[in-house]
Amino acid sequence: MSVGEQASAPPAVELRNISKDFGSNQALDGVDLRIGQGEVVGLVGQNGSGKSTLVKVLSGVHDPEPGGRLFVSGEEVPLPLAPGQASEIGLSFVYQNLALAGGLTVLENLTLGQRITGGARAWSPINWLREHKRAAAVLDRYDVRLDLDQHTGQLAPVDQARLAIVRAAEDLRRYRTRSGHKHSVLVLDEPTVFLPEEDVEHLFDVIRAVVAEGAGVLFISHDLVAVRSITDRVVVLRDGRVVADVAAGGYDEAALVDLIVGTSARSAASAPAEEARAAAKLAPVISPGPGDAPLGGESVAIEQLVDGRLTGLSFEIGAGEILGMAGLIGSGAEDLPYLLFGARQADRGTLRLGGKALSIGGLSPQRSVRERIALVPADRHVLGLGEQLELWENIVMLVEDEHYRGGVFHRGELVSLAREAIARFEIRPPQAHAVTATFSGGNQQKALLAKWLIARPRLLLLHEPTQGVDVGARKDIYRFVKSAAALSQMAVLWVTTDFGELAEVCDRVIVLSEGRPVATLTGEGLSDDAITTAALRQIREAR
Amino acid sequence: MSAPHGAAAPPEAGRQKEPPQRARRSAVRRLGLSRYTIVIVFAAMVIAFGIDIPSTFLSIGNLSNILGSQAVLFILVMAVLLPTIMGDFVDLSLGSSLGLSAMTLAVVNVQHGTNVVLACLAGIGAALVVGLVNVFFVVYFDNDPFIVTLGTMTIVQGVIYIISGNNSVGIVSTSLSDWVFNNDFLSIPLEFYYGLAIFLVVWYVLSFTPVGQKALVIGQSREVARLTGVRVNRQRAWAFILGAGIAGIAGIAYAATNGTVDPPAGSTLILPAFAAVFLGATQIKPGRINALGALIAVYFLATGTAGLQLLGTQSYYQQIFYGVALVAAVTIPKANRDRIFKKKRSA
Repeated sequence: MSVGEQASAPPAVELRNISKDFGSNQALDGVDLRIGQGEVVGLVGQNGSGKSTLVKVLSGVHDPEPGGRLFVSGEEVPLPLAPGQASEIGLSFVYQNLALAGGLTVLENLTLGQRITGGARAWSPINWLREHKRAAAVLDRYDVRLDLDQHTGQLAPVDQARLAIVRAAEDLRRYRTRSGHKHSVLVLDEPTVFLPEEDVEHLFDVIRAVVAEGAGVLFISHDLVAVRSITDRVVVLRDGRVVADVAAGGYDEAALVDLIVGTSARSAASAPAEEARAAAKLAPVISPGPGDAPLGGESVAIEQLVDGRLTGLSFEIGAGEILGMAGLIGSGAEDLPYLLFGARQADRGTLRLGGKALSIGGLSPQRSVRERIALVPADRHVLGLGEQLELWENIVMLVEDEHYRGGVFHRGELVSLAREAIARFEIRPPQAHAVTATFSGGNQQKALLAKWLIARPRLLLLHEPTQGVDVGARKDIYRFVKSAAALSQMAVLWVTTDFGELAEVCDRVIVLSEGRPVATLTGEGLSDDAITTAALRQIREAR
Repeated sequence: MSAPHGAAAPPEAGRQKEPPQRARRSAVRRLGLSRYTIVIVFAAMVIAFGIDIPSTFLSIGNLSNILGSQAVLFILVMAVLLPTIMGDFVDLSLGSSLGLSAMTLAVVNVQHGTNVVLACLAGIGAALVVGLVNVFFVVYFDNDPFIVTLGTMTIVQGVIYIISGNNSVGIVSTSLSDWVFNNDFLSIPLEFYYGLAIFLVVWYVLSFTPVGQKALVIGQSREVARLTGVRVNRQRAWAFILGAGIAGIAGIAYAATNGTVDPPAGSTLILPAFAAVFLGATQIKPGRINALGALIAVYFLATGTAGLQLLGTQSYYQQIFYGVALVAAVTIPKANRDRIFKKKRSA
């Protein structure tokens, strides 16, 4: 922060005026960021505030808009960075997934980075005894005690995180010795998410050891307590802009939350008009078919759901209600759709669906389909759609049996059913026989939604339903779900970390933190900022 | 926006590549002829052989020979088709199941003098046991089918040597041979019609029932099928068991056709059967393992072999013909639509 410090030694990494547009959406808008040598800088902000975009600019995944500049130890490095170039200028990244090979030993994971060489060096023999000694020395340097021969997948989560950090720090140290530069920066993206509270401190010890070696650290997290305790300085991003760059000690968590959310509640003036237009258009979209009597509508109750982080979670979803479940990664919200569908077995719990009590622990996908529970999973490429099937085959997957009568498979009926759905859900191009993988993400997602809505679900579970979907299709999806919920009085559970989306589509939002409901927001009180505030505040109190 | 995990990357790449390909697609593609390449090559081959050696190639005897001699292989192909279509790419043990069925039939019928019908049932039963063992280790324990069936293939081969005492066993009841091989309808041995009947059933189930459609989805993505409520493992289990049963029937046809059963009987048939299945996957419904494509592929390979034989080529040239066809089979879909094969390799 101080000018004197800047003058004495150039910062290890300095970004100036970084912007990034994704179509109409400006993810970053003139961001400046400076990380000094031996300094720990916290980067905080809401989901979608631009944190990960900024990291991806640094790692060379995203090309920033022209005009942005990057200085490393005072020397300018031309942007955009090529993929892999980051490691050549003294940057190293540890992401939330850690990028460890679970089936390899600690030693193998630790030395993996050194094996990526080409040419004759790729054939030079490995002296495992010497590697073993060296690796032990490396772990000692950071005061991390791990069995080098253990399989990494068997380590506790915190030890995996420490191993990943040690490996990244070691890469940086080797960079410094090799290049003679003094600078290097370790970027930690949400490293504490899956760690129990008592383990976070162990992780910090490693980070402090890394800093003592002379590296700078960029620490990205939602965990404001952690951010305050480990960082020297905090940079707050909001809507792609730096809104604060302050000494970590100067603000308590509540003040940080205010900075993150901003005091000005965003205007929702245009929303009602848009809503009305949408409502007018949606009525015919999912009109009940002739033989398809409107359902009376059933409310859904989840009682005492226990699994992992969830310790006796109970809530209800009214008939025709869209309930949002908000929570930061690791809150347990992201597990709910899969547990309630039986895609993953829960420990126990009861699901009351229209007067029938089902054991959640005993649910299976078959059972759920029979009970007309629908799951739209987040990873549509792997879990949702057969990418190489023709579009119509995906859409009618759940109703095939109804069109097999007397030994005849009425394929024509299915195709025309799919064509109808393609028209209703505005899937472009409207080609029932095209291979699914050839459609855009938004249209695939519409097809996935169509697949489940055709089966007339009583409970619709959505996980990140607009991930990787363009803005237009996103609005369509909101519209389809709203109209389906209203017309068939179906209960909807909408789980996403996009809080703005929840505020826009949901009737009510429950905020989860550490598996517990900590706030319920409705009506006037339901906004993007209110959800973020509740989610961040509660992390603080839970710690 | 961008999906960071590797799983999403290949389809993304494929999508981006698509438009320029479309812009300059060939006449073959525009007319949709690529899915009939084998049919076209088949026709060209028949014409070429017909012009070159009309008296021998274009004879009823040759037609009868081609259709009849491949019946055992063709039935085995239908067996191979079932697990393969569900993404259990290789059930190597099916050849051994064929051999076990044939040898059980021969031993029970010839050495113990049991009634031929019971002997046939014993043969099919033995094959079904192999299928059940595969189900237990592949589906129940979720092991790689290649590894497990490599093991069961070897074990079953050993069992065949034990029950036969490492001898050829014959001659099985001639009434069986009459009903399978010696009697004919329209000059074609009856076993061709048995194969055709099995084909029709398999084809009907796979193409015209929800079960077949689900099998296809399982083959494309097990997780998608599971989360759509399909009983994935149950259906995979049935595929292994029915596949083994059909291989057992192929074994009976083998015993009836040859009269005597050699211990290594099935092992020479399994690779041509896979060649036919994969070659067939490039036809009719490109990228999809399908029964009709397999039917065409079997008789394409058989006709090519028969033609070469009539031209007087040595039998090892026919092996080259088979190999070339198989390599072409896995390469054609890459040139086509980059479908199933690429997916399986990356998975």
